[in-house]
Amino acid sequence: MPLRLLEQGPQHWHEACNPGDELSRRYLAFATLLSLCPVWAADPGRWVPARWDGGPLELTRRAKGQTPPVEAREAVARWYDPATLGLLEGTPINCLLVTFSIGAGAEAEHQQHQLVKEYARLARARGIATLGIVYPGANPEAVAVAAREAQLDGLVLDGEFPAGFAARLGTGALVIPIARDAASLRTSKTPLLAIEGVRPDARDLSDMGIRAGASAEPWIESNIWLVRSFRLGTEWRPIWINQRPNPSSQGDYIRCVADSAVAGGRWMIAIDDDLRAGLFRKDHGALTSWRSIATYLKFSEDHAQWRNFQPYGNLGVILDNDFSDEYLNLLTRRQVPYRLLLRSELRAASLSGFQAVLAIAPPTEAERKILCDFAEKGGLVVAGPSWGDPPKDDPYAEVPLGKGRVAVYKEDPPNPESVAKDMMDLLDPEVMGLSVFNVPSAITYASAGDKRVLVQLLNYAGRPIDRVTIRFNGSFKTARLYTPENPSLDLSVRATGNGRTELLIPKLTAWGAVLLE
Amino acid sequence: MEDVRNAFSRRDLLALSGLAAGALAVKRAAADVAAPTAPVSVAKVASYDLDLVAQIEQMFDQIGGIGNQVRGKTVAMKVNLTGSSGRGRHVGLTAGQTSWVHPNVVGALTAVFAKLGAKRVRILESTFRKKYGTPLEDTLLNDGWDVNAIKNAASIVEFEDTNGLGSAQQYSTLKVKSRQPFIFPAFSLNHSYEDCDFFVSVAKMKNHEELGVTLSMKNLFGITPELLYGLGPKPPGASQWVRERVFHYGQVQPPAGVPQELDPTSNRYEGWRMPRLLTDICGARPIDLAIIDGIEAIIGGEGAGMPGTKHGKPGLLVVGRNCVSTDAVAMATMGYNPRAGRNEPPFRLFKASHEHPPDQLIPPGETHQYADNTAMMGEAAGLGTADLSKIDLRGVPIKDAVYDYEAHWKGQAPV
Repeated sequence: MPLRLLEQGPQHWHEACNPGDELSRRYLAFATLLSLCPVWAADPGRWVPARWDGGPLELTRRAKGQTPPVEAREAVARWYDPATLGLLEGTPINCLLVTFSIGAGAEAEHQQHQLVKEYARLARARGIATLGIVYPGANPEAVAVAAREAQLDGLVLDGEFPAGFAARLGTGALVIPIARDAASLRTSKTPLLAIEGVRPDARDLSDMGIRAGASAEPWIESNIWLVRSFRLGTEWRPIWINQRPNPSSQGDYIRCVADSAVAGGRWMIAIDDDLRAGLFRKDHGALTSWRSIATYLKFSEDHAQWRNFQPYGNLGVILDNDFSDEYLNLLTRRQVPYRLLLRSELRAASLSGFQAVLAIAPPTEAERKILCDFAEKGGLVVAGPSWGDPPKDDPYAEVPLGKGRVAVYKEDPPNPESVAKDMMDLLDPEVMGLSVFNVPSAITYASAGDKRVLVQLLNYAGRPIDRVTIRFNGSFKTARLYTPENPSLDLSVRATGNGRTELLIPKLTAWGAVLLE
Repeated sequence: MEDVRNAFSRRDLLALSGLAAGALAVKRAAADVAAPTAPVSVAKVASYDLDLVAQIEQMFDQIGGIGNQVRGKTVAMKVNLTGSSGRGRHVGLTAGQTSWVHPNVVGALTAVFAKLGAKRVRILESTFRKKYGTPLEDTLLNDGWDVNAIKNAASIVEFEDTNGLGSAQQYSTLKVKSRQPFIFPAFSLNHSYEDCDFFVSVAKMKNHEELGVTLSMKNLFGITPELLYGLGPKPPGASQWVRERVFHYGQVQPPAGVPQELDPTSNRYEGWRMPRLLTDICGARPIDLAIIDGIEAIIGGEGAGMPGTKHGKPGLLVVGRNCVSTDAVAMATMGYNPRAGRNEPPFRLFKASHEHPPDQLIPPGETHQYADNTAMMGEAAGLGTADLSKIDLRGVPIKDAVYDYEAHWKGQAPV
């Protein structure tokens, strides 16, 4: 099977099924089905990825850093035993990222390649794609040859590589680099992106050694803002988040799945050594954890149509290359809904539908006119001191302009945390559109489509939250709560009298999605 | 800054003497009028899910009953919602389990007042927001309170954010009626603090970074409306926080038309000013009933952002008609000496250096940060006695109720 660069777009995947191979009747039927659905089989947009690191080469790689504990070494070394493919049954995982090349000696690399080749063959028979993980130090030409021989569906580059490395893999190679700089990729047209993320977590500031005030909120690490930051157009594309879970944190695995999935991304599932060893031994506890991961993955894939909903927000955030991602992160943490707008696409028409705009960068004359017109018609512009007349003492000053106003910050650039916090005061609830109560350790994400609104919530604390109240602009007749753990639940809705709808979620365990119609 | 001793006025010398380590003696005024007191009830309550209505009714009976005071009347409850956003808390815990009074306590109190015949129950707090106008109920929703359940606990239940005018057209000016105002002669407050017949301070049993402890008296600091006191000019270098620059540090005088400080040259040190200021506030708005929620609480500070704070379960409820006596008893159940001085726990302080002006960190004449004992200030002003030997204690004896806050804070409490 020829390999090709992802940038050229996915091509049809032709099953090289040799009837002489030892395919069971079960998988022959499956392979037949695949051959009838080549586009589906080869569509990276349908891939649900899992980092499936293993084999002797993986042990060699990890020997350079932290070696696995003794009880896990056998599991890592023998991870490509065919039996481990059985773990994927009943899960949506259909794409395995296997250890392929680390730049070790030729013999060790060859041994691993042969191991992966056989494993990939068996995986392919189950309809599972296999991508080889390549680490810095690998020989690209050798990797390309081995990948073709193993009939891998592509390669994943994990680490910092010299310039031109991907090109040396061959013009036909499907290459997915795990990027570390999101901002530079935001305008990329690449149909699938893999990004280094953070471990989702909620922590007390005091536990982080940060002294704060009495009303300090927990600090939340989340990738929701990161995934949605790539949603600049109306079309969805897969965004993969690469990060390692914290196994000691209760509920961490399912949180990792949900954290990437809420805004339409996918977590590159990674299991820690303890879980791996337990799965290898088929320990009850490990299998239970694995099933919970599968439940959350299934929930995400069962509701794949939600990815087509558009992000909701009456606040527009103007992005350019210099824009700090921290504004996006902290606005999301403060439950401020927003939509992104590229600076290069700033026009009067593109601002219609917004009621407020965050425009931090110094505007050109033309941009200033567009923003002034927006404010004069009733909008709010939030700007830095370059706008002019910044306050001397106060953090920001609101300047009336026509029917609207401009909030000019004193600090250059304005502190992202302050801006995010001040949005709660600058934006009336009706402008915010979405108000959520009792979510200090949760993050919400609202999207809309087909006259429906979807409010997703993810609880980052290890304990459920009781009584989450939501208010949303508009009149809705029904609200249904979807969670991975339980059947869907109809919630009572109440009109608040000012054109908004209110509902109550009795308990939020981890991931919840409320569909308003 | 002037020597703290020189900053003592005659009224302070009448009230205080003996700053020797480990003791803070109180001298009575020349008239030697015994400080008032009233019974205080202590209960051990293991959980908020117990029948708090029955518990509170029992405690009210123990302190002599309050039915005559609330029947047909408007009862105002000033609750403690530190920070007021509702978002400040430890991961996995509610604000009611840490820095706020718990909704079950407020709901039970509302129900009990209703059973006793109160005509109206008003729930009050000054929320800490730049933008005024958000209903107080929304603040409560931020901690998952069942606001409708509280509304249904009595025939008329109202909520008001007292950080501004609220539903009135003007502020009410209440004069300090204690024996000797220390800092202010009067305060301009939201009308709700005047338009009530029976005033309840519902506090959380906590440590406090700047005052050592925060109980029923300190709870009243929140009745001062920031929107009014913040109207005064703000000179360069003054704290951006209204309450600090006007009250804590005295950097700015209140705006014109609002009662001014008695002596703008008096000591500006926060640990000196605030206990006296709180005493003045309690003198202006006397507390008819003090409730202190220590069933679950944050230990080591008043809010979630202080390093080293922990969630604790003291399992205590303290109720009394006299705020000074009630606070004194509460302090004792926290393991503190109610008559402790500025050199002893909990009044020996460790404030964040980056959050306080340099001159607030080590006051002249001292070697460390401190706060004077608010309950002792209250005693000196004639509001009540902080002498346990003179307080009629009901319910659980203090020795059986002690939950040592200091030991739990430092991780030294017995397991």
